[in-house]
Amino acid sequence: MTEREIFLEALEMTTPEARAAYLQSACSGDVALRHGVEELLREHFSNDSLIAGPAVEAERSAAEAGVEEAPAAMLDRYKLLEKIGEGGFGEVWMAEQREPIKRRVALKIIKPGMDSRQIVARFEAERQALAMMDHANIAKVFDAGRTDSGRPYFVMELVRGIKITEYCDQNQLPTRERLDLFIKVCHAIQHAHQKGIIHRDIKPSNILVTLHDGVAVPKVIDFGIAKATQQELTDKTVFTQFQQFIGTPAYISPEQAEMSGLDIDTRADIYSLGVLLYELLVGQTPFDAKEMMQGGLDALRQIIREKEPLRPSTKLNTLQGDARTTAGKRRQTDVGKLVHQLQGDLDWIVMKCLEKDRTRRYETANSLASDVQRHLSNEAVLARPPSAAYRLQKAWQRNKLVFTAGSVVAVALVAGIGVSTWQAVVATQARGVAVHAQAKAESSQQKAETEQQRADAQARKASESEQRSRRLLYASDMNLAQQALKVKRPLYGSGRARVRQPGPLRFHANR
Amino acid sequence: MHDSMRPNHARTKLPAGFPPVATYTRPMPDVTQLLSAIDAGDPKAADQLLPLVYGELRKLAVVRMTNEKAGQTLQPTALVHEAWLKIAGDGNGHFANRRHFFKAAAGAMQQILIDIARRKQRLKHGANLIGDELHESRIAMSAPSEELLAVNDALAALAVEDPQAAEVVQMRYFVGMTVPEIADALDLAPRTVDRHWAFARASLKRTIRTSLSGSAGPD
Repeated sequence: MTEREIFLEALEMTTPEARAAYLQSACSGDVALRHGVEELLREHFSNDSLIAGPAVEAERSAAEAGVEEAPAAMLDRYKLLEKIGEGGFGEVWMAEQREPIKRRVALKIIKPGMDSRQIVARFEAERQALAMMDHANIAKVFDAGRTDSGRPYFVMELVRGIKITEYCDQNQLPTRERLDLFIKVCHAIQHAHQKGIIHRDIKPSNILVTLHDGVAVPKVIDFGIAKATQQELTDKTVFTQFQQFIGTPAYISPEQAEMSGLDIDTRADIYSLGVLLYELLVGQTPFDAKEMMQGGLDALRQIIREKEPLRPSTKLNTLQGDARTTAGKRRQTDVGKLVHQLQGDLDWIVMKCLEKDRTRRYETANSLASDVQRHLSNEAVLARPPSAAYRLQKAWQRNKLVFTAGSVVAVALVAGIGVSTWQAVVATQARGVAVHAQAKAESSQQKAETEQQRADAQARKASESEQRSRRLLYASDMNLAQQALKVKRPLYGSGRARVRQPGPLRFHANR
Repeated sequence: MHDSMRPNHARTKLPAGFPPVATYTRPMPDVTQLLSAIDAGDPKAADQLLPLVYGELRKLAVVRMTNEKAGQTLQPTALVHEAWLKIAGDGNGHFANRRHFFKAAAGAMQQILIDIARRKQRLKHGANLIGDELHESRIAMSAPSEELLAVNDALAALAVEDPQAAEVVQMRYFVGMTVPEIADALDLAPRTVDRHWAFARASLKRTIRTSLSGSAGPD
């Protein structure tokens, strides 16, 4: 018998013991032959990934695909209740767990006929990824197993929620509350990133909002194409085929659109978060999904890689008619105000996420969340190189009270200074007037004195001239008397000469 | 794979000005003629069939992928079946022809996939996909290209030792045909196909592992 015949015959044996016994007899002491057959058997039964199935994905008709899962079917300890979701290769069922505790769970199972090696590996990767994470905003994994037909499934937290965008619109959440929800999503993604897991398919339908005691809690689901950054998630290699278009066109990053599949890191998720934020704020994605798909794959890649998206506020402003009214109404405001809200910070934050060059995006989901938080608390956002005026504006918005108090004090000071200056001016002027008046008074006094002096001098002069005239008169009298004496005829008598004697002589008589 | 099976005009290109959105209407007159010739006992015809089918499958893949939406992948089984329908549509699709065609198609598909796998290996060194290559690259492969190339090499040895097992591998591994389909195409019992596949697979795995441990250590 040949190696081939013994091998095929050994496969017919149902137990390892029977097989060993058969080999013993069939090889009858031929060590090399037995060794060869044992090698073949080992290869046949080994569970590694080498030639685990066809190298290609095959078309399968429903008949070949095997039995569908049906409601009320039991899967281990889970009773399937209702199919709640269906993806490319998986189905999600709402199921009831019976033990150890009774609760509703979500059960994700590979679709019949889709259990090719690659899909199973991807499925396994999702389960592992979810199991590694423990975050309030990420659906938890409880259990895993296989169906009777060998299809793997896993059991996770049942998230009863609706798409985050729908939730926001239905509840007409204003921008601030939308941002609060978005921050939580960022934190969940940050958690995944810290565990070394990239989601790679962030979009509204993968983020469900549920109410916990009336508080909206976003839950990130579907890590179906999540990828381990650090270590292998499973012992099976997750084949990232470069030709497989992974992701959703409207949300994928330029580097994902490249389809090289080799170099995707956490910043691809930052891009998708930016698209999500854009949609939450504006109601539309930066690029229209339908439009993107029209030109085929190459056009799609070109748009994502090269076209600059409109700023959110600009996009809002381009909305016309009903879309415009609805966009405002859904955010409890009108578009004009909304545009104003988005201009500046939010525009910058979104555009930083959507940078084509990933080195210009936020480094982490946390830094994105922090920037949104900064905007909410009126602090300067990182998304923009700050100018002094911008920072001042932010500081003003942040500390209105302090600024108001400061302004009041400043105004009071200025007013005080003004008043006192004015008073000083008035006083100075008054003093000037007074001084002037005084000077005038003094000058007139002086004048008066001068006049007085002059008058005195005049008086003195007058008396002097009187004296002189008197002396002259006396002299002339004396001359007259002498002449009369000489002519011997007394003119007036001797007595008269005595009468006209000059007064008391102050000066020399001869002068 | 055996170099003799390598088609002469492996780089068949579409005619210039081929419209981007096209429908595949041209029948395969040459293929049909060759199938009739094989049926009539012409030994050379079988050798000429493979390169022709190879060319037809590549053209069909490009046409299909040009019309498909982005993100769609192409299943080799679907491709081969579609190619067969074009031929059988001419009324020449009787049983023997069908068998010849599927053998040739499996060989051609193997060649197409190996071409893709080699290109992918080159891509890792920085090359870029262009034109038709991009469309073909969307054929849904679920094994890494390293594995395809290793199986391709190991299969050449197996084809010498056990040609029928090698044919089963071509149909199962490279085209993704099911056991009943292969049984039908090769005119064998399904159980026989099962046994061929089991042996071929174990044998190929052993060969690959031996060559790996010989060069780069165990898997």
